[in-house]
Amino acid sequence: MKIEESFTVQAPIDRVWEFITDPEQVGPCLPGCEEIEVLGPTTYKARIKVALGPIKTTFKVDVEVTEERPPEFAASVTRGEEGGKASRVSADSTLALKALDESQTEVTYASDVSVVGRLGKFGLGIMKKKAKSMGEEFAAKFRVRVEGDGARAAEASA
Amino acid sequence: MRYLAPGSLKEALDILRREDDARCIAGGATLVAMMNADLVAVDVLVGLGRIAELSGITETDDEVRIGAMTRHAEIAASPVLTGALGVVRSAAGQIAHPAVRNMGTIGGSICHADPAADFPAALLAADATIEAASAEGTRQIPIGEFFEDYFETALREGEIVTAIRLPRGPAGARGHHVKFSRVDGDYATVSVSAVLVMAGATCSYARIALGSSGPVPIRVTAAEEALVGSPLDQAAIAEAARLLAEAADPVDDVRGTTEYRLMLIPRLLARALNTLKDGETASV
Repeated sequence: MKIEESFTVQAPIDRVWEFITDPEQVGPCLPGCEEIEVLGPTTYKARIKVALGPIKTTFKVDVEVTEERPPEFAASVTRGEEGGKASRVSADSTLALKALDESQTEVTYASDVSVVGRLGKFGLGIMKKKAKSMGEEFAAKFRVRVEGDGARAAEASA
Repeated sequence: MRYLAPGSLKEALDILRREDDARCIAGGATLVAMMNADLVAVDVLVGLGRIAELSGITETDDEVRIGAMTRHAEIAASPVLTGALGVVRSAAGQIAHPAVRNMGTIGGSICHADPAADFPAALLAADATIEAASAEGTRQIPIGEFFEDYFETALREGEIVTAIRLPRGPAGARGHHVKFSRVDGDYATVSVSAVLVMAGATCSYARIALGSSGPVPIRVTAAEEALVGSPLDQAAIAEAARLLAEAADPVDDVRGTTEYRLMLIPRLLARALNTLKDGETASV
């Protein structure tokens, strides 16, 4: 399942880069993310809760950042499984930032996700829609945090 | 897992209030399959089959009331679901196969809120009201507010759908449900539910709902307005279909691509409207 989305943030590219590559900052923006643990400069663990109607589950994933070209590109590999259940998820993801002007940045992310096991029996069509709506939720939270903090920082320095 | 089988609604509501993580099971047509596939794990299963007050179809001058535990087969054969309510009867008769129709219930179907199911769109076209009970009392939920997302409804913790209430609809109305599926008995790739009134050769009332076309059934009033006052000619149907397709957001899966599903909308709408216009009662 391939996902590709983009959204615009009212903040300079350096600030967006700093925020988006910091797991502790970006974690709370991820829908369902209950815990994030930084293991090293390029690796971290996360616990993500996902619900689709009667199906409720938690994935424990390991994320490894495989490439970083600040402030515009990052690639990562995610591997994970459900606690005690028989589904596994893996994803190859890329993140690209583009400065639209001094105070606006376009964020584009792409992910090739595969789910195998019991959840693989469930319709991929709906999973894809679900991923899209989680992406929209992420973008909204991300904007609030980055733009909100940016505005406060600007006020403080004024 | 524990299985409880209360004999009354009150007893069932008490169980839901008392137990954490209890789930109701109606006919089991879907839930049992999902449990078998290890998709859903349940601690406490509350069987509603012994609660007589949840079953059966009753009518008054203004409305028909279908108990939540009424089986699809009974709805498909009901002589009281005529006129506008033919849309619900027609949808019931097209759900899956006879074995499933003998097990599955209307309450179970709508609570599962599968966007590919037949009842959601049919009940939206019929302007149904969902009656839900909890330990605090009973409330009425308009069908347009009942479905919230894929497999999600407005139902709260501890609530049970008790009945589906269907207003009689305007005088002279007729209802019909059409679906396209890959093979007989499959979920719909796209479905269209329609209720119409014809005054001579002119359409004087239309209420249309699309199924399998987004997270919840879709109704577009502008599309209905495009039909009302027209002779339901090709141009009016094409315009209504265009407006409906614009609002649709179908998934891309084994039952059809998004593009293919959008292409089905005008064809199924024409089929539903022509069937009703030609005066055939909803028969499946």
